[in-house]
Amino acid sequence: MQKLTIAIAKGRLQTEALDLLARAGLSVSSEMLSSRRLAVEDESGQYRFIFVKPGDVPIYVEHGVADCGVVGRDVLMESEADVLQPLTLGIGKCRMVVAAPLDTSVNGDRTLRVATKYPRVTATHFGARGQSVEIIQLSGSVEVAPLLGLADCIVDLVETGRTLRENGLRVVEVIAESTARLVVNRAGYQLKAEAVAHLIDSLGVITDQGERT
Amino acid sequence: MSEPLSKIPNGTRYYSGREARLRRSVEQVVMSVFDGWSYEEITTPTVDYYSLFEHGMGRLQAHRAFRFTDADGRMLALRPDVTSGVARAAVTIFAERERPLRLCYAAPVFRQHPQSHVEWRRESTQTGCELLGANTSVADMEVLAIASEILRKLGLGDDYQITLNDVGVFKGIAALQEFDEGSRDELRRLVDSRNAADIERFLARHAFPPEGRAALSQLTRLSGKRETLGSARLVMADAGSKAALDRLDRLWSMIESLDLADRFEIDLGDVAKLDYYTGLTFNIYVNGAAARVGNGGRYDGLTAAFGKAEPAVGFVLDLDALTTVLLALEADSRLPQESERRASIIANSDPSLLFCEAGKKRAEGERVVIEL
Repeated sequence: MQKLTIAIAKGRLQTEALDLLARAGLSVSSEMLSSRRLAVEDESGQYRFIFVKPGDVPIYVEHGVADCGVVGRDVLMESEADVLQPLTLGIGKCRMVVAAPLDTSVNGDRTLRVATKYPRVTATHFGARGQSVEIIQLSGSVEVAPLLGLADCIVDLVETGRTLRENGLRVVEVIAESTARLVVNRAGYQLKAEAVAHLIDSLGVITDQGERT
Repeated sequence: MSEPLSKIPNGTRYYSGREARLRRSVEQVVMSVFDGWSYEEITTPTVDYYSLFEHGMGRLQAHRAFRFTDADGRMLALRPDVTSGVARAAVTIFAERERPLRLCYAAPVFRQHPQSHVEWRRESTQTGCELLGANTSVADMEVLAIASEILRKLGLGDDYQITLNDVGVFKGIAALQEFDEGSRDELRRLVDSRNAADIERFLARHAFPPEGRAALSQLTRLSGKRETLGSARLVMADAGSKAALDRLDRLWSMIESLDLADRFEIDLGDVAKLDYYTGLTFNIYVNGAAARVGNGGRYDGLTAAFGKAEPAVGFVLDLDALTTVLLALEADSRLPQESERRASIIANSDPSLLFCEAGKKRAEGERVVIEL
């Protein structure tokens, strides 16, 4: 079978993703993981893993540098990458929400100032209902923006909601539920069909999505 | 502040040297195969009415074109595809010609908005063929056989994969429920990205008959060789899907008898973007390219907009993507390196003798460089 390269989102998802892959029979030795190498191989030598920033996973996969990737649905919604998404992996559960200070209303005819790391998702969400918004793109600590007077509300990813509460915000609306996805390059899906199908089956069985016909 | 004049627009590039020569020879190989199957070359206008492409490609795809207005206010576009123009020519200037009509082309196309991150080019060269006036599986097989021959002649005989589908499968299932255009396209996109999880969510939000539900949740997983059609028959009951599966079955028998089954695959989840397809659709993949290098299918309804409905089937290859793949293979020296043709150096202080001597060598077919 052909060798597959899998891009994995660093950070929040990484440990959970590696645990899941190990349960599917793709295990990486701890020496390998601690070696700080750019790319590590699993014990069977059948798979190569690269660890990249979450937002870059769809890019590596779309360009075929990685055949497959593990990344959150939130990232895929924002990137609009043209990749296949054959499996949800049930890890990295979180929600993409609109959150606002307790005393702020996000309805009405005024233009909302929205702080976010997800400008496309935000534009699509508010655009669909004809609400005019000024999108303020930030690269982190979005939840403090309303507090500091930069924005009326935020669009952000929420796991437990604790950070929101600590900053005096409440969830106004859930835009989407997000969990990690297995993504696959379109050409790789066809040209390495056997190897990709094997990976999908192995992960499908442990995530309860059954085998492919 | 003015832009530096050295800049070239995003999505455009120069071709030179080895790459330019390779690209030219790829075009020659492709066009000679078309010629071998008696396809006649046609060149369509580079600037054409935007409405042509709106009809030909559908609004969403046509929107990607560079657009501007003519002196009379009508909207023009730089040709974003060639098929639309060829289809119009077929039912207008070639209306009286005997059918089937076989046409081919190689021409640059322009797209202001790239489709994906990988397709970064805004100018790319398409080469393709259209077979009009025949609606049999044999006609479908003809264009597939031509595509295979081209890839073989390019030295990619072991490196390509053509995936087949028939839009009748998806259209048949989707027709079980009345959808607005937006929902239908959302469903199409979900199937096309094999997004089984979101298909379930979609089904939870929409009323859909149970027989269609079963078929839809299987659709993303139905890929493989002939056995795929058998599995599909177990879950698909509507007349449209069944007819489509029969068409694929007939085609697959021919593919097998031509000993091409290794290079082909059926993938019922591969649902094409263009609305105009009416039967067979296919994508062409090549090792070394991260996206498809070609695609095609049957579009029996397209020419109706230009005056007369005619069956048609054809495909297009991305010449630039193929050149990139072949250039990389050549660097790996899997292909014989092109031997640089040597040039005779001609030197003479008397210009008339210089050109006389150079002319003589040229007449003998030699390559010359004159010393200046």
